[in-house]
Amino acid sequence: MRRAIPAILLTAVGYYLVWQYDPSPDTVTATDETTASPPPAVSTPSPSSGSTKTVQGSVESNEFGDLQVRVTFTDDRITAVQFVKLPRSGPSRQAAPTLVEETLQAQSARIDTVSGATQTSDSYVRSLQAAIDAKGA
Amino acid sequence: MPVNVVQQLMGFPISVDLRDGDRPDADRVFAWLREVDLRFSPFRIDSEVSRYPSVEPSDDLREVLALCDEYERRSGGAFRASLPGRSFDPSAIVKGWAVQRGALMLREADVTRFCVNAGGDVVTAGEPSPGQPWRVGIRHPDNAQQITAVLGIRDGAVATSAAYERGQHIYDGRTGLPAFGLLSVTVHASDLTTADATATAAFALGVDGPEWAAAQEGCLVYAVDTNYRVFRSPELPVVSG
Repeated sequence: MRRAIPAILLTAVGYYLVWQYDPSPDTVTATDETTASPPPAVSTPSPSSGSTKTVQGSVESNEFGDLQVRVTFTDDRITAVQFVKLPRSGPSRQAAPTLVEETLQAQSARIDTVSGATQTSDSYVRSLQAAIDAKGA
Repeated sequence: MPVNVVQQLMGFPISVDLRDGDRPDADRVFAWLREVDLRFSPFRIDSEVSRYPSVEPSDDLREVLALCDEYERRSGGAFRASLPGRSFDPSAIVKGWAVQRGALMLREADVTRFCVNAGGDVVTAGEPSPGQPWRVGIRHPDNAQQITAVLGIRDGAVATSAAYERGQHIYDGRTGLPAFGLLSVTVHASDLTTADATATAAFALGVDGPEWAAAQEGCLVYAVDTNYRVFRSPELPVVSG
């Protein structure tokens, strides 16, 4: 019983240290330019490229560091998302992909061909590509 | 004179749609793909692939072997042409490589406007009609009658890897088990060799596949995960209906 008290105390101290541990709070600046420009900054590059617009978001902070994005719009569509600032590690790093996420759509638009998994003859007969081929013949 | 021919080869339908070529142009592509089937099928005991490595590989087989090694290395072993307990099967690489060479044959014959679809893997050139790109639909993972997005492509390739047609046939070489995490992954690149190999390796990688594929040079991605979430490259040339 006498030995249990220091053991519990040490365990408590250990838990406290782990709880307080901050893996790496420093931030990486992803690009060489624009480190602390007052956001949001909007710039329209070459007029020849149509209605392309680049917008820089504000610097957002969380416990892992600072995060800032730059988004390129072509007309009303997002065509690029770049990270100006990104924390060195921690969950926000995992949640910082280069791909954009969207919901799955089901449509029947006009198409010339279909890309899908390698078909079997059976499913081909039922598929869209068969209809397109039949129409083109 | 437009030509549209469909033939069943290598176990799947191949359609050759030529807007400015002739029937002999399409026939040459089919002859080449028939030759590939004879030489590279792992299901024919006398094929080059079945006899490898006991017989010295041809230049073509060397090219395929180098591609297999390259994508095995790039995917950290998730893509593998030689799985434990299975015979050597480079089919995943052979398909894209062979159809891409077929497209090259068309270009060399001065065919400038075509679309070849080999069982869901697509390579295109030029425009089907003036000012219009080829409209390549990406199949909905649950419904063969519907598409989830349309890509507008002139000179390029689109390949899709998924389990909805042939079941769990793609294995994760790192575990030896069927790949999981994705319903389908589509890759757009300038050539079908790259698009097909990258799509297959990305599917084998599972949840990490889409980001990995997007990091491959010249590759754009459209992936649907098992939670029906879509992840796509922002630069992907999506056109509206």
